[in-house]
Amino acid sequence: MRSSPCSRLACFGAPRMLAFGVLVAFGLSGCATKPPASDPDAVADYEQTNDPLEPTNRVFYAINNGIDTVILRPAALAYRYVLPSPVRDGVHNVLANIGLPVQLANDILEGKPRRAGDSTMRILINTTVGVFGIFDVATKWGYPDHDADFGMTLALWGVPEGPFLFLPVLGPSDPRDAAGFGMGIAMDPFTWIGTGPNHPGWTAFKWSRFGLNAIDARERVLDSIDQIKKTALDPYATFRSLYRQHRHAQIENVRNDNRTTVPVWFSQPPSATAQ
Amino acid sequence: MINRRNFLTLAAAPALFPLPVRAQAAEKASAFVKSTGDRLVAVVNGPGSSSAKRAQMSQIINSDVDVNGIGRFCLGRYWRQATPEQQKQYLALFHEVLVTNITAKLGEYQGVTFTMGRSRPQDDEAVVSTTVIRPNNGPTAVDWIISNPSSDPKIVDVVAEGTSLRLTQRQDYASYLAHNNGSVDALIAAMKSQISQNG
Repeated sequence: MRSSPCSRLACFGAPRMLAFGVLVAFGLSGCATKPPASDPDAVADYEQTNDPLEPTNRVFYAINNGIDTVILRPAALAYRYVLPSPVRDGVHNVLANIGLPVQLANDILEGKPRRAGDSTMRILINTTVGVFGIFDVATKWGYPDHDADFGMTLALWGVPEGPFLFLPVLGPSDPRDAAGFGMGIAMDPFTWIGTGPNHPGWTAFKWSRFGLNAIDARERVLDSIDQIKKTALDPYATFRSLYRQHRHAQIENVRNDNRTTVPVWFSQPPSATAQ
Repeated sequence: MINRRNFLTLAAAPALFPLPVRAQAAEKASAFVKSTGDRLVAVVNGPGSSSAKRAQMSQIINSDVDVNGIGRFCLGRYWRQATPEQQKQYLALFHEVLVTNITAKLGEYQGVTFTMGRSRPQDDEAVVSTTVIRPNNGPTAVDWIISNPSSDPKIVDVVAEGTSLRLTQRQDYASYLAHNNGSVDALIAAMKSQISQNG
């Protein structure tokens, strides 16, 4: 699996931004020092944490935290204050619907036909019956939402996650997810529509989508993040732990989603009974 | 990693216990989680001042959660390095931190309900899956890890959407200790100031 030719894509997919981020990282403050071999417990901790760029990561964490305190969190609070919950849900659903083509592409690249089917039905139902995605009718009709992005696809292809990264603006990540983020933009049809100065409508659409996505995502985690910052002794380490655990769980979910594509009334392959 | 561990668990399990016993344990764990969950929901959605709710919460945590076990797990390798006095102090504080953190979330969980899912044995513990539904939030998959499911069931971990409460806490403490020369006294002081701020 590891020698799959697909894993080479990771190198091509790595966006310039990542390379830049890593360069800046090394330039700023270098690496965390590995504990001496005489302290095996500390070495085990160091390896398990897998955060050799921790000093630099913490610098970016502090910067992001500052940006969040001044801009993003107040914006999310205002958004919550101004719009009632059903309207916010509608906005969230529209944004999710716009993101579905990328999700569908990743379902296919992950080799998960039932997930790809769910995504296809979600696009068809929610864009029409759900009025441009405002209402999530598809979930009620048996096509639930799931997570899919190119970082998860790379994981299924056997690309290792690499050390922890805390990226400017983007937040917690790792080389695999950073590459996945870049590919996610490249895979998005909306990235390639209406480029150039002659499409003010598209430009406005893209910026609104970008801004709303950020505010929507932040609003949904307002309470949890406030809670973590209040209760964690080391919020950076807590976010690092939570990010990794959550990504691993998402990846295991895709890996274990082996629902069969054979109709129920047809004789089932032996593996289908596992579900 | 997880897959391999699960595989080993599955492979080793039949050798340790005959199957019916294990299935029974999982069933008992499920009943235990249902009863604890019902009581938690009753406190969260029930009437009463926040201090009364805190007392009720504390009572449920004392009876149904293996607080000392979780506390020891969260201190990791530093548990062995701590003096008995430090261990005692730490566990008392850990207990209070746990109650405070859970009580602080009560407002967020107003109107909460849950549905029971599958229950399966894992090592000598049992994992009970539930779905927690909060108003204005999507359903959340929450797994409860239950120790000694057939004799003396206690909650030893809560895993929400794949994130483990005790593992996250352990890594938080580990990082704090690593940045404070591994001093358990520094951790105890930090926990004290945290309680006085949030309590």
